Amino acid sequence: MSAAAAFAAWLGAALIVLSEGRRGLALGLALVTLGFAGLALAGGEVEAAVALVAGGGIAAVQRLRTGRDEWGLMPPGSTARLVLAAAVGLLALWISTSLMSGPGAPLRFAALSVLGLMAARVLTPSKPPPVLTALVALALSVAAAAGVADTSPGPALYVLAAIVAAGISMIRVGEVDGA
Amino acid sequence: MEPELAIGLPAAGSVCAAVLRTRPRAALLAAAVLGFLGLAAVALASPGRTSDQLGIGLSLSPESRALLLAAGAALALTVLLAPLAVERTILLTWGLAGLAGMAAIAAARSLELLILVVLVLSVLQAAAAGGRSFAIRLRGPVLAVVLLSLAAVCARAEGPEFLSRFAAVGLVAGLCAAVGTLPYMHEFDPNERTATSPIPWIAFIGPVLALAVLARARELIPSEGGALGAMMIGLGLLNVVWGSLASWRTENGAAAWHYSFIADWGLVLCGLGLAIADGQRAAILLLYGILLSRLPLYLWSRQSLREKRPNDRPINLLAAAMLAGSAPFAGFAARVLLLRGATQLYWPLALAIGLGLLLWLPPSLRLGRSLGLLRGRQAWGVGIALAINVVIGLYPQPFLALAGL
Repeated sequence: MSAAAAFAAWLGAALIVLSEGRRGLALGLALVTLGFAGLALAGGEVEAAVALVAGGGIAAVQRLRTGRDEWGLMPPGSTARLVLAAAVGLLALWISTSLMSGPGAPLRFAALSVLGLMAARVLTPSKPPPVLTALVALALSVAAAAGVADTSPGPALYVLAAIVAAGISMIRVGEVDGA
Repeated sequence: MEPELAIGLPAAGSVCAAVLRTRPRAALLAAAVLGFLGLAAVALASPGRTSDQLGIGLSLSPESRALLLAAGAALALTVLLAPLAVERTILLTWGLAGLAGMAAIAAARSLELLILVVLVLSVLQAAAAGGRSFAIRLRGPVLAVVLLSLAAVCARAEGPEFLSRFAAVGLVAGLCAAVGTLPYMHEFDPNERTATSPIPWIAFIGPVLALAVLARARELIPSEGGALGAMMIGLGLLNVVWGSLASWRTENGAAAWHYSFIADWGLVLCGLGLAIADGQRAAILLLYGILLSRLPLYLWSRQSLREKRPNDRPINLLAAAMLAGSAPFAGFAARVLLLRGATQLYWPLALAIGLGLLLWLPPSLRLGRSLGLLRGRQAWGVGIALAINVVIGLYPQPFLALAGL
């Protein structure tokens, strides 16, 4: 189950990198959410899994309601992104299984691959909807990455990450006035 | 309960100011009262004592508490003596939001909590209307979030020893990316409003963030203190040279101020990297200087910079002396402590820092002139900032004692 959940998280992150439309982004976010929730469940953290599903679920539904009504998967010029998604996945797999040791390799793989891919999504020129989606996935992965430690970070961190994720998904860019 | 109040009250003040924006007086009053109560909670907090009221352990260190109080004082100074063209309600809204975030960063006992707060602050700032695009404004802070998260994974995972060395690199790189120093300078638009520009990161949130990240770094990778310090000193020297030269040579006045913050951060990084008492003291004094003097002076210089009206009055020269770190200002005491600390550690380092300090004078004269002809509130503000800086320079011990040094 852990391996499948980790793969789902990577696949979701790859979808967020490869999509421009709201359906593709929402599906990617849902997969990332389910992946991290599955990993938390596998680690015996039921409350954490519920929190992640709630936060990520709200964000995915929000994404499905706003933005361009299309899948927008792999628009022209996406070859580099496809290569990036595969390369980051392979690199994360190598680091989490060969360089790093001990139990929890699926969680390390999921955390490293989602962090890497979401960083790439935010740092490359993009419109606000994909960037916001990547930020939501980033918030979830920050909390999930804390599970790499020997001692559990406790459910509070996951609840906070879920609140942050849901909050980010409700932000409307450009509506707030600056000082 | 104090850390929770220190976070919650300024946040409530910020929300109040935003909600009551159409009634500026009510907004100012409500936000000021809540902000003041938040600062009182910071002042009354027992350093090092952990509060777990919300299920998350929160505790303020003495250094963070001292810098939070300095940030609150800087906010009060800039709001009370804001130029007439600046809307105080908006300034207070953003200032209190930043203060709440800083309190949360300072109180966070886990690196992940700190990272989430940085993420929230960066999204809130980037979502506001500003000169640069949403994605560009997010780049620096989000890169910091990713680097710090990767560092945390490397530090916690089992494996070869070099993983903790990677973690040290990630922590220092993440800190630089969040603050906006070299090699991750944030893109700066001279015409952008201060609240949505990179200035809040380097001049307001940065000081508390740096201390919090380093405190967490010492817990995560206690064996890598040497590597952490060496990287910070190296990057510090780079920032000193680059920041001061660019501040002197750049054409745009606002950009010159931005580079001057980077140069100051170079010294701060050197001080924090020395990891001995004198270095820490120097860094804290420099951070006080950034919060209580350089940031307010930058805000008061904005109008003059727009109107391109430099001036050479005595007060401009005094401001230049303060920015250059000459006696009797706080910068002088900080530089003496830094050189003494560097000499204790490795004397050629003191020589390199000393040579770097010579680069401060030309840009400081330029920045002092850029304040223009000071009148009314701005003149009072610059006078108060100079006075505070002199007091810290002449009597640094009480301010260092407040920071537990």
